[in-house]
Amino acid sequence: MTSDLLVEARNLSVRYGAKTAVDDLSFSIPKGRVVGLLGHNGAGKTTLMKAMVGLKKGEGELSVLGMDPVRERVALLQSACYIPDVATLPQWARVSELITLMQGMHPRFSADRARTLLKRTSVGLNDKVKSLSKGMVAQAHLALIASIDARLMILDEPTLGLDVLSRKAFYEMLIDEWCDGERSVLISTHQVEEIESLLSDVLMLNEGKLVLSISLEDMDRRFVALSHDAAAADAMTAAHPLLRYRVQGGSAALFDGPPPAHLEALGKRVRPSLVDLFVALTRKPEIDRTQF
Amino acid sequence: MVCYLSNTPMGCDAMTTWDHRQPIYQQLADLLAAQLLDGDPAEGQAMPSVRALAAQHLLNPVTVSRALQALTEARLLENRRGLGLYVLPGAHDSLRASERQRFLQNEWPRLRARLKRLGINNEQLIWEDTP
Repeated sequence: MTSDLLVEARNLSVRYGAKTAVDDLSFSIPKGRVVGLLGHNGAGKTTLMKAMVGLKKGEGELSVLGMDPVRERVALLQSACYIPDVATLPQWARVSELITLMQGMHPRFSADRARTLLKRTSVGLNDKVKSLSKGMVAQAHLALIASIDARLMILDEPTLGLDVLSRKAFYEMLIDEWCDGERSVLISTHQVEEIESLLSDVLMLNEGKLVLSISLEDMDRRFVALSHDAAAADAMTAAHPLLRYRVQGGSAALFDGPPPAHLEALGKRVRPSLVDLFVALTRKPEIDRTQF
Repeated sequence: MVCYLSNTPMGCDAMTTWDHRQPIYQQLADLLAAQLLDGDPAEGQAMPSVRALAAQHLLNPVTVSRALQALTEARLLENRRGLGLYVLPGAHDSLRASERQRFLQNEWPRLRARLKRLGINNEQLIWEDTP
């Protein structure tokens, strides 16, 4: 394995009893990337992240920073940091005590860096966790784990339940203090639209299967969206686009690859959005819709 | 080609929204060009770093680099080795010139047609700022 690939999975499956949560995934994450992990609830995002930090054993091959996450978990966690979706900080602790705790626990944690990062926020060192707002807790948590000299950060729904300004502050700190072109971060979220411009790559899961693994640059090249007026609607539909959706001032049709030449003349190319692609690729079969 | 869109609604306090008509790097380049035209930063001054811009606009640093590269190719910025990007002397004038050109070529014919349609003549157009 080359050192440029921080994560490599080949035919990775993870099961809970008879249920296959992660189904035969193959992908890699190079260094210096901001990767979005997208999928509906139950698509396997959390399970995949757990497997990557050795909390869940899978079948097939999975190498994180060149290590086996289960067998070499202790060594791996020196260079990979993780905020799980159920993350909590102890309510009774002061922020300064958390820094002391991390210092005693993690060999590659820098207390100085944590204090510097916290200065960016409105979180005080003497504040007790229980006195902090949800947004401040998330920032404090990020400051703590971004102070680990690691190469890979894994964030499971880090901004769930935060208001828009807290989410912005969170991502601002992430880009400014973590993304240095060498380290990578994997983020799962449902706020697809909001983080699209932040991402360099996207992994899309649908019912445990990987439906898309692509860089945003390649996504723009491969998928073509044509905005068109009502008159062209029938012609668009006849060409079986991946998805038809509404855009400002009309409709759009999304195609995987270049659309038929006669359609190009009927519409105008627009940048396909990640959220539209997400809807197109993770739609449940029509038959499932009767349940809702 | 970098152009200045005076009517691009962009709030930087919350999440900036990017439209789907153009690549994001192009939209950022336009936004930065608009700020340069307003003297922010002034000629001869340093541009903010890629990371600072990425954090401010919540963009991937690669996207920011591409926008800065477009501005450099448009001869608005120069790369001073080891120091970073600086606003070139004359950037303001050249932006103003290209913007003026764009207005006269694209916007004015439409505006003129509309004025004619509405029957508005020179005397009716008020040039003084109303207090």
